Amino acid sequence: MAGILGIYLFDNRWNAYNFGVFGLMALQHRGQETAGLELLGDQRQKVEGKGLVEQVLTSTNTKGHVCVGAVSPYPAEDAEIQPISLDGKVSAAIDGKILKVDGYRWNGAVAYEENLRRAFAEQVKDGGDLDGLKGFFSRCRGGFSYVAVNEKREMIAGRGSLGVKPLVLGKMGFDGGIVASESCVMDIIGERVPISPAENIEPGEVRVFTPLSAHSEQVATSKRRAFCSFEYVYLARPDSYINDVPVYRVRRSIGKKLVEEGAVDADVVIGVPETAMPFAMAFSNETGIPVEKGFELTGRRVRSAMKPNQLERLKGVQLKLNVISEAVKGKRVILIDDSVVRGNTLANIVYLMKEKGAKEIHVRIGSPHIVSHCPFGVEVPPEDELIGKHLLEKKIAEVVGADSFKYLSIDGFIDAVGMSRKDLCLGCFTGKYPEV
Amino acid sequence: MMDMKILLVGGAGREHAIAAAFSRSGHEPRLYCLSDLVNPGIKEFVKRSGGEYYLGNINDPEGVVKAAKKSRADFVFVGPEEPNFHGVPDRLEDGGIPCIGANRAVSELEMSKASMRDLQWKYKIPGRLWYKKFKTFEEAVPYIEEYADSVALKPARQAGGKGVKVIEDFQVYLQEDKRKVKREHAESIVREYMKGYDDIDYKLLIEERVWGPEYTVQCFTDGRTVIPMPAVQDNKHAFEGDLGLETGGMGSISCGMNLRWGVDDGRAILTDEEYRKSVEIVKMMIDSIQKETGEKYHGVVAGQMMLTSVWGPTVIEMYSRLGDPEAGNVLSVLKTDIVDICEAIIGERLNTIKAEFEDRAVVVKAVCPEGYPNRRDMASGHPVKIRGNGDGILWASADVREGRIVSGGSRVVECLGVGESIPEASGRAERLTEKVSLEDGWKLFHRRDIGSEKSMERRIALANMAREIYQYRERRGLLGKRMIWIPGKGLVEVG
Repeated sequence: MAGILGIYLFDNRWNAYNFGVFGLMALQHRGQETAGLELLGDQRQKVEGKGLVEQVLTSTNTKGHVCVGAVSPYPAEDAEIQPISLDGKVSAAIDGKILKVDGYRWNGAVAYEENLRRAFAEQVKDGGDLDGLKGFFSRCRGGFSYVAVNEKREMIAGRGSLGVKPLVLGKMGFDGGIVASESCVMDIIGERVPISPAENIEPGEVRVFTPLSAHSEQVATSKRRAFCSFEYVYLARPDSYINDVPVYRVRRSIGKKLVEEGAVDADVVIGVPETAMPFAMAFSNETGIPVEKGFELTGRRVRSAMKPNQLERLKGVQLKLNVISEAVKGKRVILIDDSVVRGNTLANIVYLMKEKGAKEIHVRIGSPHIVSHCPFGVEVPPEDELIGKHLLEKKIAEVVGADSFKYLSIDGFIDAVGMSRKDLCLGCFTGKYPEV
Repeated sequence: MMDMKILLVGGAGREHAIAAAFSRSGHEPRLYCLSDLVNPGIKEFVKRSGGEYYLGNINDPEGVVKAAKKSRADFVFVGPEEPNFHGVPDRLEDGGIPCIGANRAVSELEMSKASMRDLQWKYKIPGRLWYKKFKTFEEAVPYIEEYADSVALKPARQAGGKGVKVIEDFQVYLQEDKRKVKREHAESIVREYMKGYDDIDYKLLIEERVWGPEYTVQCFTDGRTVIPMPAVQDNKHAFEGDLGLETGGMGSISCGMNLRWGVDDGRAILTDEEYRKSVEIVKMMIDSIQKETGEKYHGVVAGQMMLTSVWGPTVIEMYSRLGDPEAGNVLSVLKTDIVDICEAIIGERLNTIKAEFEDRAVVVKAVCPEGYPNRRDMASGHPVKIRGNGDGILWASADVREGRIVSGGSRVVECLGVGESIPEASGRAERLTEKVSLEDGWKLFHRRDIGSEKSMERRIALANMAREIYQYRERRGLLGKRMIWIPGKGLVEVG
């Protein structure tokens, strides 16, 4: 997964650089390992590196009125930092995964990016004019969103026909447009439009920007939708809209559903920061059991689940989650987290809470069990690492040391999102993915 | 009157709509037209009525008087604003030729955006925005440097709707970039957009930026009576979804007097009260300019308004003529004979006319060659073809050269759909756009979203939002008031 961004300002007196930096900062939660921003103006410049946006994008002399950028979680060892170059002239930022390209024979022996480059070289002749670019992405299959720009400063942005990964459009007055993975970007760098911050880009839709025009085209007509469930559970920011659904509303509904499905008598509700906080608040509102701040953070806020290895993840959790003993001492605690992948970090939290005097700990998870590795690039580890695939709830409770443990049901989750089952990709919970 | 003759000045989409209205008159006037381009649509009406089409400079009063005399016109109808600014109506009246068109003095309402605001503040007319005017760029610099906020930068003179830039400057972490562009744009307003306009002292106007749905209230007036027309909403952004460059208008919607969703649909962008207040504001503007100049206003006046959270109905700009494309919306549903209205204006007895408008939804969509609005050189000179009989299509920026119709660089045609609801009318207009093409394969574009259900929902939601805030202010007696606490200095009140 990644956070992607494209900014198109018609008037070349604008410098899009700072907009790009703050826009990517607003997407930082979608990838904290690498950041890259390419600017197109009188010349082409790219700033990139490993680390957070504020550590990497520190240039003071980068200029251009068009830009494309991305933040990504742990990349393969030698993988190119996004946005990647497709042929030296076309750069692209991609969220999710392209699994095949119609008319191209995928080569399992070479890297993902290399396959894309070869497919592009085979299929797009004259260095990527607008039609070539649109055609290429319309032949890509998988679960992805993209922003791409060519040498003529033409930019296209769109979503694969399944609509797995999100993408929205925002505006900057009479000056241009912004496309980004999430609508929160528009609050941070866009025009503050009072009604809704951004317009949803539909699956199979492509947004085209050229020096002379901006318009939308529908390149795929497939009706099959597979909106990523995990966006609502964990990936997206709560102040974003994904597929026109406010993420915060879903997270609140999940909290209520957890009450319906797993109510238990207790003294306090505690959410695991940051993602699970709205679940816990809603759970508390619904039951009347007070919600408390259970943890204090040391150092910078990181998304511990997206760290590349177990040591990093535990480091993240321990620094992020120092238990406030006064909140739990002698109390029966309902501990709410968004999801459980391997269960190690959860075990750590439960242990720390018991150590600080919690009398009982009832774990409630705001999503169904994760049983499958995502082919569309959500960072889920191999299936033999997934605790939910191998152990039942009762056993997991024993393993993590909790008094009870309960997942949200798949039906409960679908209800909370408020969409029809057939429009959601529930693959991480069911192992069944849409055909690409 | 037997064998009535009318000279129409101007040759854009608006004038085509005016010509169409004249052609429906029971007086069966002979229509003459003076324009700098040959508008194929107007030419057809002229031909059918037995009149004549003159090519010439519409801003040259002598030339217009000459054309009026040659055609022996009973009266002249001036379409666009520039002839007003050049005193065309004044010279016609001096020569004893009645004219529908704001004279030089009263058209100041539109020509000088600075004078318009001065007037509004002097007479304490509601819906006035905070502003500052500058004669030179240098004068404006310290102000732009010091005062960082969301502003609209405008040429102080009406310059064909060009040069306006709205910069929302709220996010302090982006302030430096925005300030730089503000400064550079202010400079280009003074040095480029205002170049060649030496009929005005002030060059640059900086106004507070406001948000809300925009709408135009156009009125006929004889200086005493005002006949308001249905409110129309224009769409200024070049591209779909209100994205991109500012244009003269990509399309406009109307239904009933207050921008209702449909003829039998209660949802509306404006309340009756807001519409009434807007008309009241336009009346006050007319009264004040007449008082200020001592001259009579004969013609059309329009308030380009916005429903803002600060004031409710708020004046953005004033027009001394019909809007384009807004003219198509109102004239196509005008039931009253337009010649009767014109004669009543000339005789200053507009109070005797009861103007009626059909209760229909109208959507006008402008179709433009790619390149518009910033690269008109690329947009012009392409041969245009219309399939079918051309009903519902108004010719705008087009010219007839060597027997062929070619694009003029701006909006080439306006497609007008009528229906029971705005989305229905939008669908009709949409189908008309499919009949238009450029024979050399150059691309045309228009906005499919104008008048769509989604767009209507958004406009109504935006209006509700602005309404909630301005009504709250109204209840507290804070309408139009702005208070700023400046630490160390105290409370400053504007409004």
